[in-house]
Amino acid sequence: MIGPLTRSWLRLFGSQASWNYERMVGLGVGVAMQPLLERLGAERGEDARRSALARAARYFNAHPYLTAFAVGAQARAELDGVPGVHVERLRQALVAPLGSMGDRLVWAGWLPATVGLALIAVTLGAGWIAIVLFLVAYNVVHLWLRTWGLRAGWRLGLRVSEALGHPALHRALAVMPAAAGLLLGAALPLSAMWAASLFAPESRWAMATLAAAGFVVLRWLAPAIGGLRLALLTVVVALAVGGVWR
Amino acid sequence: MTWLALVLWGTLVGLDLVSGPQIMIARPLVAATVAGAIVGDAAAGVTVGIVLELFALEVLPIGAARYPDYGPAAVSAAAAAAHAPMILALGAGVTLGLIVAGIGGVAMHRLREWNARRIHRHAAALDAGDGRQLARLHFTCLAADAARSAAVTTLGLAGAAVLRQVGVLSVRGAVVAGTVVVALALATAATGVLRLGGSRAARRWLALGAALGVLVGVVAR
Repeated sequence: MIGPLTRSWLRLFGSQASWNYERMVGLGVGVAMQPLLERLGAERGEDARRSALARAARYFNAHPYLTAFAVGAQARAELDGVPGVHVERLRQALVAPLGSMGDRLVWAGWLPATVGLALIAVTLGAGWIAIVLFLVAYNVVHLWLRTWGLRAGWRLGLRVSEALGHPALHRALAVMPAAAGLLLGAALPLSAMWAASLFAPESRWAMATLAAAGFVVLRWLAPAIGGLRLALLTVVVALAVGGVWR
Repeated sequence: MTWLALVLWGTLVGLDLVSGPQIMIARPLVAATVAGAIVGDAAAGVTVGIVLELFALEVLPIGAARYPDYGPAAVSAAAAAAHAPMILALGAGVTLGLIVAGIGGVAMHRLREWNARRIHRHAAALDAGDGRQLARLHFTCLAADAARSAAVTTLGLAGAAVLRQVGVLSVRGAVVAGTVVVALALATAATGVLRLGGSRAARRWLALGAALGVLVGVVAR
């Protein structure tokens, strides 16, 4: 039989399943918090548990991994008998820092850094080993963030900001953009050399010219037109102009 | 059996993008390599995976942003390109992948709207703290995303089967398509990476990385 904290941790992995434009990740937070609030019904009555669950399922938005901090902290506050209005305030106060820190740390930091490293290794011929190592490296940090976040929130409750001010977290935030830039920067020319090796020399010049033109167009038109749309449009035009359909 | 395994894998990677567990099996490099291995050509999977990964570098999955679903797309592209000369299969495979990614992104947006309507209808139960209704709604949304991912993967694999059986491009057309998609993958990646490295300090690291990449590439050749 697994305990409520472990069940909550497992449910956090699917916290975005009911993501929607109204409550965003709110329902996922409520579902993840359910096991932690079970004790509340026994200790303070069914009404208290239902009120806490209703608060848990309201609008919430943050980085999915760092949502763990909010789940732990809000559940602890509810069990400590903190008035509902203060719990609501805690929840609202966590949206911006958990979103911003998670985006900078993971989406714009650790993920591009590890993807860059994987691209470097694969284009240099490492094959599937590089892909396995990418998954392992990425998920060490991913799992640590979810685990630490839930435990810290559960331990600190309303004082969860103490954990968010941890020096290691801020060092990581300072280092990540540099690491992502360095590794993706190295991955780009290596990917270009790898791509060129797939084609005959005469196609390489066409490819380089088109890549440069595409870069200028995307810098000019983004985000109205992304790479996907531009690529599909260019393929259709190139094939139509060249008359090279079967 | 192979196609069933591909649909299952496509469903898992489609779920991984947003619903969970977000362990990054949805990255095209991972999704395509495993799909290639399932059909017995992991090398083809790696190749289309790299090209689609370059496209995916422009995506920053922040908040309510709308973005393509490259996981099922990479599965379809790998299935289309496997066991064929790469110079001929790459363009068609990746083009199919880009179409599937676009469809997957639109389907996800529609699903989110559907989620919102269902949740809105049950707002009273949620505001009353009905735990059973909360869990039912949440896990129904999860099942709906699994159905979306399976449908997008099946559609993509049907496209791959058509490409493999019928073929829609001449040899020259296949080379043109391959050149175009690879060139625009590089352009997209460069644009995405520059946007990511927004600050001056980050761009200095980016430039240093690029110089190191050129050096390593020249030495490794």
